[in-house]
Amino acid sequence: MADSLMTELARPTTGSIRRRRRFLRATIVVVFVFYALITLIPFYFLIVRSFVPTKKTTELWLLPPPAEEVDLDAKLGGLATFLNLDIQQFKARFGIPPEEFVKPQWSLRRIGEEYGIPEEELRDYLNPFIRYAGWFVLLSDELFVPALVRSLVLTVAGIVGRNILGILTGTALAGLRYRYQRAIHGAYMLMLVIPPLLVLLPQYVMVQSALALIPNYEVMGGLTRQAAQILAVLVFYLSPTPLSTMLFTAFISSIPSELEDAAKIDGASRWQYLFYIQGPLMRIPVASMTVISIPGIWNDFLHPFLYMDNSATTILPLINTYLGTFSSNYQVIYAGVFISILPLLIVYLSFRRWFIQGAMAGAIKG
Amino acid sequence: MPTAERRRHLQNWVLLSPQLILFIVLTVVPLFIALPMLFTDIGNFRDTTVHYIGIDNFTQLFRDPRLAAEYKSAVVRTARFAVANIIMVYVFGLTLALLMYEVGFKGGLFTLIYMPMMISGFALGFIAIMLFGKTTGVVNQVLQELGLLQAPIDIKSARGTALILPILVGWQYAGYNMAIFLSGLLAIPKETVEAAVVDGASYLQRLLRVYFPQMVPTMVIVLTFALMGSFRLFDQLAALGAFAGNEEAQFLSVFLVRYGFASNRLALALVISIETFLPLMLIALFLQYVQRRLSYEA
Repeated sequence: MADSLMTELARPTTGSIRRRRRFLRATIVVVFVFYALITLIPFYFLIVRSFVPTKKTTELWLLPPPAEEVDLDAKLGGLATFLNLDIQQFKARFGIPPEEFVKPQWSLRRIGEEYGIPEEELRDYLNPFIRYAGWFVLLSDELFVPALVRSLVLTVAGIVGRNILGILTGTALAGLRYRYQRAIHGAYMLMLVIPPLLVLLPQYVMVQSALALIPNYEVMGGLTRQAAQILAVLVFYLSPTPLSTMLFTAFISSIPSELEDAAKIDGASRWQYLFYIQGPLMRIPVASMTVISIPGIWNDFLHPFLYMDNSATTILPLINTYLGTFSSNYQVIYAGVFISILPLLIVYLSFRRWFIQGAMAGAIKG
Repeated sequence: MPTAERRRHLQNWVLLSPQLILFIVLTVVPLFIALPMLFTDIGNFRDTTVHYIGIDNFTQLFRDPRLAAEYKSAVVRTARFAVANIIMVYVFGLTLALLMYEVGFKGGLFTLIYMPMMISGFALGFIAIMLFGKTTGVVNQVLQELGLLQAPIDIKSARGTALILPILVGWQYAGYNMAIFLSGLLAIPKETVEAAVVDGASYLQRLLRVYFPQMVPTMVIVLTFALMGSFRLFDQLAALGAFAGNEEAQFLSVFLVRYGFASNRLALALVISIETFLPLMLIALFLQYVQRRLSYEA
């Protein structure tokens, strides 16, 4: 596609046009550099700021601040707030019975003396919290990796499902010759104008009522509950969208009917034609659909937020739980946000040609 | 109808059924479930004490002053954002598309411009705080260090939300909007452009007399998407603390979610969402109609 665009714009060059070309080329470089800066700087600072502890956040840090040693004279309470310490885990680590109330105004040194914990051990335990700040808390949160896994599962299942269902629908609607085809196509297109918030509340009522009907759903943390919630969210991703309908219907309509006629002459049933002949041709719309769905599903916040429990959700709602009304540990949040973006960035940069093609395909069809 | 044809149509219906069922279940059924609720005082979906109250919900917005005030603020904030967002969409999308169109396709630049689309709206809200927090924002700190800024730009203030948030959202969707504008530009017959060049038209004249008139359907599409997107904005606001006390982040979407899920006034929330979004849907339908009429005339 790049070459066709280039040849489209090729013109015979005279002096003034060559000068204009050079000016445009210079503009492009300037725009490129400027845009690169404003795009890459936020990513850079996201990492840097995830190392800036709460008490230093009002200062400008162009590089991560130097790591400090834990101050044994610091009070436990203050330290716990700054470092997002889980006091139960702290107690478990040092063999303090969980019912014992450890006074937050005591210094670490005093706690060490009181419970017979050598200073070295206190230091070893607490230093990583300070040095790696948000990252340590994030990765030691036992909900973190499962959340990532759930995001991955939903994304993969969603992409596979969307493509399969999109192909089925597109095959049935191809050509748009008959009234029922046009009616259904039109109905799916109507979703472009339906504000999602109009149906959001009724959908919520319906889905939650339906989920409540499932036996064992009420058991919090139960496997049925988790599976049901994942399926509920998945259902939203599989429903027809204007884009998927347009993409597949248009593409399949463009396949010459001679192909199916030839297959029929050779004695193939429609299903054989669809599976063996049309199927392999679907690589292009499938690529576009996949590439558009990856960020669409992975970055979806609303549906997991509404339908999945906080203790068993995907990565973005999990980061949302770190947001408190009074104080939030932004180091953890920034670390989490960066990790939520990283997989997408890697996939995007590895397959950027597909992403660009998919983006233009989506735009042109729209 | 010959049996072969009838069989084919039957097969088509089988192919259609999965997504059709999903569509009906997710879009049609909820509306039917919600319809009777509108005339009751149901608080949440488990509410057992439900009474019929006629059209009370519909007039509540006009009768309860506190609700009306909250609602009006939400409408104003959302509308302000929508206007700024639409402007930003054109600033980012159209400018970049024109650049791409004139200079030729540059894969690297496209990659760069489209990259922010990989960020979730939720993450963008946190990036906004990271950059424009009142005391902790990096941009504020840098500009103040350089002496270019006296008072910090607070993303959580009214000005910040009205001015900075649209810029950030525009940056995020720049790739998407650029792609749409670019496809509109590419659809312009080259002869019209060449004729203008040959006739010695300045760039501005070319822009206004040749490009824009032939891009009107595209512009309407972009306007529709930007408008709908503005009212749909949610994730970014959640990150900005809409549910953690940030008054300025209370846009219509947040207002409705709060009333629908958190305040035990489900029926009221349903009605308000209809009163708000039905007009929006009609506007969007009208824009679609306009766009289709313009496409055919071209």
